[in-house]
Amino acid sequence: MGRKLLLEKQHVEGIRHYDVYRREGGYRSVEKALKMQPNDIVEEVKKSGLRGRGGAGFPTGMKWSFLAKPDGVPRYLVCNADESEPGTFKDRYLMEFIPHILIEGMIVASYALGSNVSYIYIRGEYDWITDILDQAIAEAKQNGWLGKNIQGSGFDCEMYVQRGAGAYICGEETALLESLEGKRGNPRIKPPFPAIKGLWGCPTVVNNVETLAAVVPIINEGAEEYAKIGVGKSTGTKLISACGNINKPGIYEIDMTISVEEFIYSDEYCGGIPNGKKLKACIPGGSSVPILPANLLLTTAKGEKRLMNYESLSDGGFASGSMMGSGGFIVLDEDQCIVRHTYTLARFYRHESCGQCSPCREGTGWMEKILLSIEKGKGKLSDIDLLWDIQRKIEGNTICPLGDAAAWPVAAAIRHFRDEFEWHVNNPEKCLTENFGLRHYADAIHVPV
Amino acid sequence: MEVEINTIKVTIDNITIDVAPGTTILNAARQIGGDVTPPAMCYYSKLEGSGGKCRTCLVEVAAGSTADPRPMPKLVASCRTGVMDGMVVKNITSEKVTDARNGVVEFLLLNHPLDCPICDQAGECHLQDLGYEHGKEGTRYQFARRTFKKEDIGPYIQLHMTRCILCYRCTYVADQITDKRVHGIIDRGDHAAISTYISKAIDNDFSGNMIDVCPVGALTDKTFRFKNRVWFTKPVDAHRNCTTPGCCGKATLWLRGEEVFRVTARKDEWGEVQSYDGKPGWICNTCRFETKKTESWTIEGVTKISRHSVIGLNKYQTLEMPKETVKEVMNGIEPKLLMDIHSVSGVNNPKLHLSEIEGPAKSSDFKN
Repeated sequence: MGRKLLLEKQHVEGIRHYDVYRREGGYRSVEKALKMQPNDIVEEVKKSGLRGRGGAGFPTGMKWSFLAKPDGVPRYLVCNADESEPGTFKDRYLMEFIPHILIEGMIVASYALGSNVSYIYIRGEYDWITDILDQAIAEAKQNGWLGKNIQGSGFDCEMYVQRGAGAYICGEETALLESLEGKRGNPRIKPPFPAIKGLWGCPTVVNNVETLAAVVPIINEGAEEYAKIGVGKSTGTKLISACGNINKPGIYEIDMTISVEEFIYSDEYCGGIPNGKKLKACIPGGSSVPILPANLLLTTAKGEKRLMNYESLSDGGFASGSMMGSGGFIVLDEDQCIVRHTYTLARFYRHESCGQCSPCREGTGWMEKILLSIEKGKGKLSDIDLLWDIQRKIEGNTICPLGDAAAWPVAAAIRHFRDEFEWHVNNPEKCLTENFGLRHYADAIHVPV
Repeated sequence: MEVEINTIKVTIDNITIDVAPGTTILNAARQIGGDVTPPAMCYYSKLEGSGGKCRTCLVEVAAGSTADPRPMPKLVASCRTGVMDGMVVKNITSEKVTDARNGVVEFLLLNHPLDCPICDQAGECHLQDLGYEHGKEGTRYQFARRTFKKEDIGPYIQLHMTRCILCYRCTYVADQITDKRVHGIIDRGDHAAISTYISKAIDNDFSGNMIDVCPVGALTDKTFRFKNRVWFTKPVDAHRNCTTPGCCGKATLWLRGEEVFRVTARKDEWGEVQSYDGKPGWICNTCRFETKKTESWTIEGVTKISRHSVIGLNKYQTLEMPKETVKEVMNGIEPKLLMDIHSVSGVNNPKLHLSEIEGPAKSSDFKN
């Protein structure tokens, strides 16, 4: 049983409310932090090895130390709660059931960064969570954790929740800032990065919900203690939102030392695949990371056991690995069709592309149309190469990572499941009623009992 | 001793040039000129905030700077990337760039209707030029193209969204010239569209400049639509004393005979409006749409067009006859014509008035 830091108190009744949260030891980290120097907190977070939990996995302490601090210019902390990646729903759980941990983490981070006004940008679909957060902020303010002169320390901090209007692109940090400023949510061209010129042209740090919540145990327990959990550069605990063909979908807090096999099959976590079906493929980190077939998911190309952490999941690069991403763990069993699955993702990215730069705007729509025609049995063999060529020309040539996110799933599906695409083209009628199943593996897949 | 560094060195396609700090790669390449300059569909040096969107100007940075000579991992948009001292940039010498640019052009043409034969922009269209240089001969796209209804933005401008490549230039013009923003992009992705707020007219004296900045035929001059092909008209530089504040009064008139078919702002070699005294030479709607008589203008002379489009041949300046090559390939033998109808038939007889002949002309009519 792994250590739990964020979800430790999840089953305490009434933890959503201030009184219970405070009784259970909440806001201790703020008390501790306000006695420290802001730079020491940044150093502490650096030492903890905390990596951004939103998807890219960039070291948080490093990001904080990049923040420009010109005189007389306000700095901002923005919490990215625009959790829109298909398969990812960890932040929702955290904000819905333990909202105070986010607010606590944000107060510490605001103090460390010198932000007197901090924002939570939440996706529009989470409207009921907006109310929960608003209530939690009001409670925190009532008890002197927000507002002027917090706990007599002389530090002022206000916090606001801003709802988005339901656009995936607004989870990209610069599009988020544009949207927060009240403009159309188009990503900005970088550089300048938000750490230099962010919200209203001022230095800004944008962090994921889970990242900011993780600041609380780091300050409470100390960076060394936090860094002891986990392995290598993957320190601390990570929330994984597991879904798809598994017995127990839900949110799990893992300590990044367990293997993928254990995560899928043990009763503590996903509890195996229902109805005795076999594992076909899995997207380990939210819809935009490459899909992996079962054999490459459970073991790396070198034959080692794959672990649930940043390094191990990306072992082998995109040729035989994937990414930790945002922790949206989507499991596909033998009855799932990879072509249909890839089409569904392509349709999502086509719908969510902001339309600002041409490769993403035109390419995502094109890929969707080709995938639909293959899925409907109307494709040609040359379409598969065409898809590969289109994704290659989108990747890396766009303003923001949405282009990459749209290209990677298509690339990985073709890379690992090309024979399934070819079968779809060669059996235009059969593919409408039957499933390709697991036939494409040259070797029998090792399936744990 | 203090030495102020006021220029930095940048190498583009093996050509080194000194530029001012803060210059973008694209502007440095424009200072060199020629083939080294990346094409730009959305960047417009006179419009603040433009660029970075179309991705045609992508270049490879082989070395970031002298201080940090690491290459940049991805291709960068040259219009929005500043040069560093000692930066090494590859444009046409990089296969990666050519490949990516061909891809971008394919993407831009994907939903473009390619209705050049009926498009007023044909002949001076940047997308046409780009298509000639980087496009494929055929399309790999086998689906229906997206279409939109034509829309009138005010009495003078028509928006044909089907042709639009979403460069955002016109939105910057509208943003920077109108007090109240009414023009922008609605929807997103491949169904994004330029629109005024619920088909409102842009009410501004300078709205016509949106036509000049449009790189394709999405915004056209309603006073010129379908009147003529640009290559049949003769561009001349002219000026007038315009009373509209902010109007430079310097324009290019597009003539056919004595008739002014179209008035546009004067453009430089990159297809952008020329600057006068450091200010972009925008012209007002009165000059553009309502002053279409040669008497109202002082004509300065024939416009020199340095862009490489079909109207850029400068055929109006000097008329060169094509060389007769038959004699050359026939080893000096004069071509023997079967019949020179001009000398035989007398069709060109100036004394003969065809209108005076009753009914169709017969050969006997010419022999008199």
